[in-house]
Amino acid sequence: MKRRKFVQNLLAAPAVAPLAAQTQTQQQRPSTQPNTPARQDPRQPHEIAQLAVTEVDLVSATHPYFFTADQFSALQKLAAVLVPPLKGKPGAIDAHAPEFLDFLISVSPEERQSLYRNGLEGLNRAAQDQFHTNFHGLEAKQVDTIIRPLLIARYWPQDMPDDPMKHFMAQVHDDLRTATANSREWAENGPAPFTGRRRRFNRGRGMYWRPVDPVVRG
Amino acid sequence: MAIKQHDVLIVGSGHSGGMAAKILTEKGISCLMLNAGPEADLQRDRTMKSAHELPYRGFGQPGRLPHVFQANEFNANQWVDEKENPYTHPPEAPYNWVRVRLLGGRSLFWARQSFRLSDYEFKPAEIDGTGDNWPISLADLAPYYSRVEQIFRVSGRKEGWPQFPDGDFTDSSFPPDTESIKRFTEVATKKGIRVSKWRFAQGRDGLASSINLLLPDALATGKLDIVENAIVREITVDKNTGLANGAYFLDRHSGREMHVKARVIVLAAGCLETTRLLLNSGICNSSGVMGHYLVDQMYGVSVVASIPEARDGKAPENLMGGSAFMPRFRNLSKKDKRDFIKGYCLHVSSGGDASQHFFPLYGEELQSKLDSYAGSCVSAGIFGERVPRYENHVRINKDVKDAWGIPVLHIEARDSENELNLRRDAANTAEELFHDAGWEVICKTDQVNPPGYSIHEVGTCRMGDNPKTSVLNKWSQAHDMKNLVVVDGASFVTAGWQNPTMTILSLSMRASEHLGDEMRQGSV
Repeated sequence: MKRRKFVQNLLAAPAVAPLAAQTQTQQQRPSTQPNTPARQDPRQPHEIAQLAVTEVDLVSATHPYFFTADQFSALQKLAAVLVPPLKGKPGAIDAHAPEFLDFLISVSPEERQSLYRNGLEGLNRAAQDQFHTNFHGLEAKQVDTIIRPLLIARYWPQDMPDDPMKHFMAQVHDDLRTATANSREWAENGPAPFTGRRRRFNRGRGMYWRPVDPVVRG
Repeated sequence: MAIKQHDVLIVGSGHSGGMAAKILTEKGISCLMLNAGPEADLQRDRTMKSAHELPYRGFGQPGRLPHVFQANEFNANQWVDEKENPYTHPPEAPYNWVRVRLLGGRSLFWARQSFRLSDYEFKPAEIDGTGDNWPISLADLAPYYSRVEQIFRVSGRKEGWPQFPDGDFTDSSFPPDTESIKRFTEVATKKGIRVSKWRFAQGRDGLASSINLLLPDALATGKLDIVENAIVREITVDKNTGLANGAYFLDRHSGREMHVKARVIVLAAGCLETTRLLLNSGICNSSGVMGHYLVDQMYGVSVVASIPEARDGKAPENLMGGSAFMPRFRNLSKKDKRDFIKGYCLHVSSGGDASQHFFPLYGEELQSKLDSYAGSCVSAGIFGERVPRYENHVRINKDVKDAWGIPVLHIEARDSENELNLRRDAANTAEELFHDAGWEVICKTDQVNPPGYSIHEVGTCRMGDNPKTSVLNKWSQAHDMKNLVVVDGASFVTAGWQNPTMTILSLSMRASEHLGDEMRQGSV
């Protein structure tokens, strides 16, 4: 609902200015209907009726294009295993986390892109070497054989290990959890967050700062 | 229309600029304040949102604020844009320069921990034989601390400990300690570590900023004009007198260049922006010290323990919750022989959850662990003192310019063996205390975030009695130019382990009162 209201405000904004300007012009002439001060005051654009618009994720899906088919299938498998549905809350697959991460990584710095691509390739390679199939085709126990040695304990999220595969596993695990906990699907399934101390976003809502008087460059 | 003239130009609107404006205008001196960014309208510019409503689902735009670990997608717009306002550092020595250019600056967002420096910081050469003394002592600043603490409504508990000077607290009442804090206090005390409480600026209406505690008073005098979106690029100098006489600045939106004249210049843009402006202006650096001795505090050393009887939601009533604060306890006497000098404070809070990062687990197994440990954790962190060193410095990088064509800073700051040993001691000490309390340590790190992360950068225009080894005198006036005063953290000689805000405010108050008196007497 909030998203809808935000979009409503965004769409209403450009319509207000011309209307307000028109009203100002009309005020220079005698009016036969002077008893509508709210509409004549450009400082009160909220008086103008807003139209209902629909949240984009309710009518369309993210189109993944960044990862190759093999890489993306490995990411989907990881998502299902690392963040499954629990206690009535959606898992990463339900939250479309792999599709979102495909987008997020596509607009990320090259270093992050390489980390992901090499990491997913590494999982597929390990699956082929050990079980003669790609990562997506593994049984849960086989997946565990590959990923458990790659998991590490750390204090700060940014304290990443030097080993590239362990680094990838720590990063993708964090990202899948965040993408899941911050999804619309998660928010619609009640307020209970993941437990965990660093849950800045996991509560779902926060005070958002709009750009303050941004510089518009031509 | 005649252009309105002002006696004093103040650059910057945070705590230090706000205090200067308040003191000077209340003395009847007219001031013009230039602020690089706009004024925020807290009603208009903020709104509640869900993470999934944001373009990047709460992750933030990748690569937008790589040095601001405090940033997230909700607050990204409050920080300075790193593409518009870049700076450089050696690739192997990252520096986190965290900036806010909104009116009020970083005073809008600070954590409000409110401590005085002690003579361990003001007079280290005398007390422990390490480092340089300030030209002032705690006794010089104490009256100003008191007034600042009243304005900011600082709460705290009086202790009478020399390394933790008491303040004029407006509230000294604290709820009784929980059993976990009592247990921790007992084991710390046995080791000779004194335990106190946080000292905290309560401010008003949830805010302890220049925009609600200082600038309204200044505006009420009718002696202050504030211009927003004014990016100062150079201080100008009268060729005949050799004194500062104004500044060039650019409109943030259009880039239109303006000039303003003033009898006195007060710089309050924040330690590094002030230093950048002076270096770009090519003034006040006859000592060659400007830009050197950059220092802040180490944040990041952390230890977390879990109290077994509090797991699985079974914590007895009054076991969990609360906090403890241990001001510096290392190297307080020359008998305390360590493999490092200086010290750190330790702060502990009870009743938290475990982080997902603590356990090399996933899926249901991880979630069960997190659920079991929820609410059972006690965490310890430090504010660690860094030693000011000449080689940690900033200089102008003429090859890189900001969006307004102004050369940027190159920042070089590295930790020494002393910092490494100090933080190792801190992590080991916290771990030992938790073990002594009978708790299970589940995570420990002696790693720290890059320099700058604390947002407490100070020292690049240090004060001193000798113009050959310092930039400012004890009244924060430039040795080279008496009518140029630096009231932000650039004047610090040491950083200590304490949040610097109370000291910055007190120094600004003291410098501004002295300046006002000198202006009245005609000596400035």
